[in-house]
Amino acid sequence: MRIAVVRPQVPFARGGAEIFVDALVDELRVRGHEADCVTIPFKWYPGARVLTQAFLWRLLDLSEADGKRIEMVVATKFPSYLVRHPEKRVWLVHQFRQAYELDRTELGQFGESTEDRAVRRQVQGLDRVGLGEATRLFATSANVAGRLERSTGLAAEVMPHPAQELAYRNDGPGDFVLSVNRLDRAKRIDLLVEAAAAEPSLKVVIAGDGPDRPRLEQLARDRGLGGRVRFAGRVPADELAALYATCFATYYAPVDEDFGLSPYESFLSGKPVITATDAGGPLEIVRDGSTGRVVEPEAVAVASAAVWLREHPDEAAAFGQTGSAIAADVTWDRAIGRLLS
Amino acid sequence: MKVALFSPMPPERSGIADYSALLLPALRERCDVVVVKRGAKKPPRGTRLCVYHVGNNPDAHGWIVEALRRTPGVVVLHDFVLHHLVAGLTIGRRDGHGYLDAMEREGGVVGRLLGHAVLDKRIPPLWENRPEDFHLAGEVLGLATGLIVHSRYVRDRTRAAGYGGPIWIVPHPAFPPPEVAPAEIAGEPLFGSFGNVNVSKRVPQLLEAFAGVRRGHPSTGLLLVGAMSPGFDLDRRLQRLGLHSGGLVREGFVDEQRLWELMRACDVHVNLRSPTMGETSGTAIRALALGKPLVVSDVGWFSELPGDVALKVPVDGDEVGALVAALTLLAERPDVRAAMGAAALDLTHRVHDLERVADLYVSAFEQAAGGGSVDDAVLTEVSEAAAAVGIAPGSVEESDLAGRLGEVGLGG
Repeated sequence: MRIAVVRPQVPFARGGAEIFVDALVDELRVRGHEADCVTIPFKWYPGARVLTQAFLWRLLDLSEADGKRIEMVVATKFPSYLVRHPEKRVWLVHQFRQAYELDRTELGQFGESTEDRAVRRQVQGLDRVGLGEATRLFATSANVAGRLERSTGLAAEVMPHPAQELAYRNDGPGDFVLSVNRLDRAKRIDLLVEAAAAEPSLKVVIAGDGPDRPRLEQLARDRGLGGRVRFAGRVPADELAALYATCFATYYAPVDEDFGLSPYESFLSGKPVITATDAGGPLEIVRDGSTGRVVEPEAVAVASAAVWLREHPDEAAAFGQTGSAIAADVTWDRAIGRLLS
Repeated sequence: MKVALFSPMPPERSGIADYSALLLPALRERCDVVVVKRGAKKPPRGTRLCVYHVGNNPDAHGWIVEALRRTPGVVVLHDFVLHHLVAGLTIGRRDGHGYLDAMEREGGVVGRLLGHAVLDKRIPPLWENRPEDFHLAGEVLGLATGLIVHSRYVRDRTRAAGYGGPIWIVPHPAFPPPEVAPAEIAGEPLFGSFGNVNVSKRVPQLLEAFAGVRRGHPSTGLLLVGAMSPGFDLDRRLQRLGLHSGGLVREGFVDEQRLWELMRACDVHVNLRSPTMGETSGTAIRALALGKPLVVSDVGWFSELPGDVALKVPVDGDEVGALVAALTLLAERPDVRAAMGAAALDLTHRVHDLERVADLYVSAFEQAAGGGSVDDAVLTEVSEAAAAVGIAPGSVEESDLAGRLGEVGLGG
């Protein structure tokens, strides 16, 4: 089958959604499909620019390419699902969250002017059209599906996507907590830095890059954590696998996250996850006392959860193993089978 | 954003007053809503959006239409047919010419002539026997910068009437049922019909059907609640149908507390209507919130009720026969009643939930207040980009662009 997988691209940024789409294209190809990724740069500000940029997707003609029919389009995130196609499947990573649950929070984008309020509503209107046209609608987590249903009334089938291909292994518990995430404010990595400040025995490695990095580095300097909090930046695959293999736990506690690949990767490395009670998607697989620790989003609570896992290696290993079984159950074979059926 | 709300409010005895009173606290949690004093012609200073509740009752809505004439805004159109309202605002104020003008605007010369016939009392009032042919909503639609309606039916009727502005469909909110004990009224099961007792509520057909059902199921009861319309001779009809000796319980206009007690007592709610003015029935919404099965006329908003909560009776065929079948089914099958009642509660929570309805209202307010300038911004950017690559006005490409914008609701 000839399949176009569509996603927007914020130039110079790369995160979980990009990794997911690239992996999906690869996995489709492995299974004999002719798949390609179609992308358009996305800029969502100022004012009504989010609407005109979204509208670009509506102008695409993906019915065929070079005279040959494209039989299916798989869209992933706003605004790529505005593309028109008679066989449009949506595997929703997330909507434009600034127009929904992030509105009127410090992570929001829209102000109180009548124009801003109306732009936000127009974004919601675009979702109803673009997602309403899907011939099948999947969401990467129950959290994403729930938000979608509450905001648009559309029901999506929950289908998590598998973690990226890495040489996952478990080299036993090391002496640090690992964070693998894009460094932006919503990912709440500052909570981990503050946890290290609150607990002098805690060591932390932060992998990933993003716009919040300077602030986080400054925070670590301000707290005098130079030797205990290491910013590793974006790391290559083998190094990432090694970090997972040698940490004693991972930290993943964004605010109301959509899905979250990192917990799956952590589990595949046999490592428990520390998350927060308001983390959203991760709570579907990170369960307190079963696959990790779920604590209040407070630095002291994160620190004490980390110390507990470090000082209870048998329990931590058991949590990692339980998580590993959950993650191993999410396979590309199963996902692609559903996606294309 | 300050929103000025023009609406009848309690203690006025009006379904729309109850509606607004129910909704107001939830709206105020979401935006700055000021209720305009009855009779005021202008919104308060600083208002960004005027919202007018328009229904068919000239006493309740006359001043609201007058304010709308001065300051156009969003109209919450509770009835599509506004003939009775317009008649009240014209004939009722000895402005026969105004009525003739309204009739001519909608029905041309024929309309004007019919208007003359009404004024001369040569034909019965058109708002009673031909409301659907002459809705007289034209003036209100012409003044509305946007419409909030409760049904697809009204949306489609307003579009057919030529309204081109934005329309938002916002379901009627559910009234939270109070904790009251059901009234003790005989009937196994007990059917209930609430509202004015008259021909347009199909009371004659209901009585005839109930008489038929009762012959096979003598334990059934029928509760008729509401004021009797002038000229409706209930006693004579009961006598003719053999219902005068039992089976029917009658209550006139009742207060809110008694209304809920009576509604709770019924096993099945019958809510018939023809002709429809496009209204949504607040009584039917109350019944749904109580988890009661409905029997309704297959018209207007009632037709849009899901089949698992309402049995729908056509009004143009064998209406009485269909009613007998529906009532008999519900009399004989408590399991069906239970399933329909559960579906009614589910529908109430999913669709008519007060918080959800308030969200939809505020969404409409925000689009109405800022949507115009956003549309302008989008159109400017798209048309500049189109012009820059040589897409000419009136070309096929421009038409394609406009079509795509329309598909996703951008650009007005």
